[in-house]
Amino acid sequence: MFGFIKNAFTSRRDHADCSGCSLCLLVCPVWRQSRDISLTPHGRAKAMQHGDAVDAASVESCTLCMACEPVCPEKIDQVGMILDLRRLQAPTSARDELQAHMTGLASRPVASRPAASTTLLPDSALRAHPDTLARVTILLGDKNISVADDDGSDISQALEVGADIPAQCLEQFLTPLRLHKKIIVADGLLLRHLKLWLPKARIASLGEALSGHAEVRRSLRTTDLYVIEPRAYHSDYQRLVKHYDRLRVNHGCAFNLDLQRIAIPATARNLSQRLGLAAHDDEAHARWVLHGRSITRIVVESLEDRAAFEKVSDIPVVHLAELADGISDV
Amino acid sequence: MTTATSERTSIEHGTIGPCHVGPDSLIDIKRQQTNPSRWKGESWSAFAAALCDFGIELRESVAARGTFATDAGGTAYGLPHGVVIARSAVQVSLLLKAAQQHRVPVTVRGGGLTTEGESVAFGGVLLDMTGMSRVLHIDTEALTVRTEAGIFWHSLAEELRRVNMDYLSAPLNLTSSVGGTLGVGGIDVNSPRLGCSADQALALQVVTPTGDIVECSDTHNAELFQRVILGYGQFGVITEATLKIRRYTPLRMHYFYYDSLRTAIEDMQLLNRNDASDYSGILTIMDCAVNLLVAFDSDEREAAFKANWQPKLRGHGEFGFALRMALRYALRPWKLGEAWFLFKRKRDIFPEFRRSEYLRDGLMHDRTVVFSRAVWKFWGSKQMVIPDLATSADKFVEAVERGNQVCRKYFPHYTLYLVGIKLRPEHKPHYEMSCIPSDAEGWAYGCEFEPMIDGHVYSRDHLQSFKNAIYDIGVELGGSYYRFGGMMKGYIRRVFGDEVVDRHLAMKRRADPAMILNREVIF
Ligand SMILES: Cc1cc2nc3c(=O)[nH]c(=O)nc-3n(C[C@H](O)[C@H](O)[C@H](O)COP(=O)(O)OP(=O)(O)OC[C@H]3O[C@@H](n4cnc5c(N)ncnc54)[C@H](O)[C@@H]3O)c2cc1C
Ligand code: SF4
Ligand code: SF4
Repeated sequence: MFGFIKNAFTSRRDHADCSGCSLCLLVCPVWRQSRDISLTPHGRAKAMQHGDAVDAASVESCTLCMACEPVCPEKIDQVGMILDLRRLQAPTSARDELQAHMTGLASRPVASRPAASTTLLPDSALRAHPDTLARVTILLGDKNISVADDDGSDISQALEVGADIPAQCLEQFLTPLRLHKKIIVADGLLLRHLKLWLPKARIASLGEALSGHAEVRRSLRTTDLYVIEPRAYHSDYQRLVKHYDRLRVNHGCAFNLDLQRIAIPATARNLSQRLGLAAHDDEAHARWVLHGRSITRIVVESLEDRAAFEKVSDIPVVHLAELADGISDV
Repeated sequence: MTTATSERTSIEHGTIGPCHVGPDSLIDIKRQQTNPSRWKGESWSAFAAALCDFGIELRESVAARGTFATDAGGTAYGLPHGVVIARSAVQVSLLLKAAQQHRVPVTVRGGGLTTEGESVAFGGVLLDMTGMSRVLHIDTEALTVRTEAGIFWHSLAEELRRVNMDYLSAPLNLTSSVGGTLGVGGIDVNSPRLGCSADQALALQVVTPTGDIVECSDTHNAELFQRVILGYGQFGVITEATLKIRRYTPLRMHYFYYDSLRTAIEDMQLLNRNDASDYSGILTIMDCAVNLLVAFDSDEREAAFKANWQPKLRGHGEFGFALRMALRYALRPWKLGEAWFLFKRKRDIFPEFRRSEYLRDGLMHDRTVVFSRAVWKFWGSKQMVIPDLATSADKFVEAVERGNQVCRKYFPHYTLYLVGIKLRPEHKPHYEMSCIPSDAEGWAYGCEFEPMIDGHVYSRDHLQSFKNAIYDIGVELGGSYYRFGGMMKGYIRRVFGDEVVDRHLAMKRRADPAMILNREVIF
């Protein structure tokens, strides 16, 4: 009945191209915690090269931070590989539920013609904080921006668990987005896929959009640690590495970047943790981001990260949108 | 035929048996039996049960074993029977004791960046050292770090940089491990000044082949220390290392371009002899564009170089060299293909060394990342054929020129990487039977010959003949090799002679009675 959208990118290379250089290990938060090669892109690619099934634990462990993609010299589509493997795995109840939800939404209502030129797709954390969301919209230019009713969070979840997305459902999500001049996306996984699905659209991450705002930039201090949201950053790494480097040069703040200029995640959650089936263990990641740094404030792009830092340190944490002085509390 | 086979399998490991190759097959080359028998898994299940009793996780799935089927060279393939991820010295000790008892080969692997199969297991157990990757203590006053030895140099750098420190020298590839490198050498572009990475080790924790956990240094258990450093994993598993460190500095880089290998080498050696730079090395595009890289940690050193040594160098700046090249190829239109290749290569590679996120106020930050990323991007592939030669300073020009002719004969495009290694007289005992040539005084010099495979398919024989042609130069010149283990162990007796090899073999037999540890690497 419906065509199904495969979650993979096709233009990049696959496991067969893995040379075994191990560069992906250096940036992988799962490797950092486990030191177990079978839980890394290297281990998965080699298992497939030898015709063996990839362990379910390995497929589930990936946090989809996407750090391994920009560092892979063979340009292997790591995230596509994981999403494909998740799709091929035995269905879980969580995936079944999402699958049923997606199929039910095959005829989701198409949003009306937008009045604003820019649309914002908040993620669930931002929606859960209406004050911050309101500050974000004011900063991004109240009149020209509309907050999308359909922010695609179910599509993002379906991607994450490997549920198929009916083509019609996807099309109905994308149709109104095509009418906007610019799309600002808070969810990094969705952003990655929107770039694929809407190659001609102007798409920016929430972090990039806010950090481009003059007032936000002016409020950055040299003793700040600016925490980039990894998924969005890595999905447009070549361009954004320059964007954040300019921020560093002009404002002198530190970033959660390693020596390869890859973003170290403060929250790194595997599939069970994302679905709420297992407890988070963000503390170790957040601690490593802070390790050895002399800073007086942490500035986060993602609200998820705020909670992780607040658990492990007394250093004040603010969201980017809370930096601009000109906006009174809403 | 039957007799030959039974003879072959009955030869004890590490002994020299009769040669099975026709006596006239390689005229004038003394043949030795170097690969007498492969382990057939005789006591595997008893060994596996012993590990299980000790609570050591042994992985036997195809996926786990297949992950380690080859090394960075991609020409030697072998599967272990099982894989153990190293977690502690005690666990490694238990494993080695069981391996001695059941005579099961143990192959230790760090980053697996060998290219001759030294870190490939042909049966037995593969010990993945990267499981031991914690930094234990950084002393910013004494300038030392104590770390578990499976750690990648880059992961070590990540930790050191949080306290504004850096390691002294390490291979330019990010994913070689500390333990693997201390066992083979470790050359960096500051080696002409600081020596090889192995020279930076102050003390080690070693698990001997019989399972003793021993701390050693130049003053404590010195004999073990001497054998383990540059010892190709024959005399123990390095589980922890204390290394010298230093304060982090970005680099002031200078590039000089030559069209003659000889001139560039002479200039590099001039700089090294006079301690005129903090970093130096040569990277080429074939023998057409020869780039001498010179760099400094401080403005003072850079100023002294500019005043005293730069005028003496015969290389050109980028613009001057481009003009020379344009003129050269204008006069040789039949070589336009070569000119086009040089142009393309320059266009691809140069921006990688000038990425704005690594250049600040004219200084290069995180040089290892810049160089290593370029190495993997432009030279890395599933198959990496990188034979090398190491010689004394005075034989180096000849070694490189002869090796260059071999490259020209076998491949349309290739790269040479040349660097000096400052020798430490007090470390002479470490250097015996290693990559450091026995006749080198002051500095040894190394050259890697790396063909660009460029998607071509070459037969194994073609690649092997190329490597042999390079390695033969080392025998003739009385040099050594950075990668002298694994598939090229046939060269070991030819370069070092029977007396030295037999002495080391006797030491190995005493240390490792069942000859289980890294048994395919050297003997
Ligand atoms: C792309 C590329 C670039 C390179 N660039 C450089 C360079 O710039 N400079 C340079 O010096 N080299 C270079 N090399 C060579 C490589 O870096 C060295 O061989 C490397 O240092 C070995 O480290 P490893 O951790 O990969 O060791 P492995 O390859 O894993 O092992 C090397 C040997 O040591 C043994 N071993 C490993 N770990 C231990 C341990 N803990 N205890 C005892 N024995 C052990 C192994 O059994 C093996 O025999 C390069 C190689 C490649 C493929
Ligand atoms: S970085 Fe890419 S090529 Fe290298 S090991 Fe990882 S997946 Fe393989
Ligand atoms: S996406 Fe992140 S967690 Fe997953 S393999 Fe890559 S680096 Fe590791």
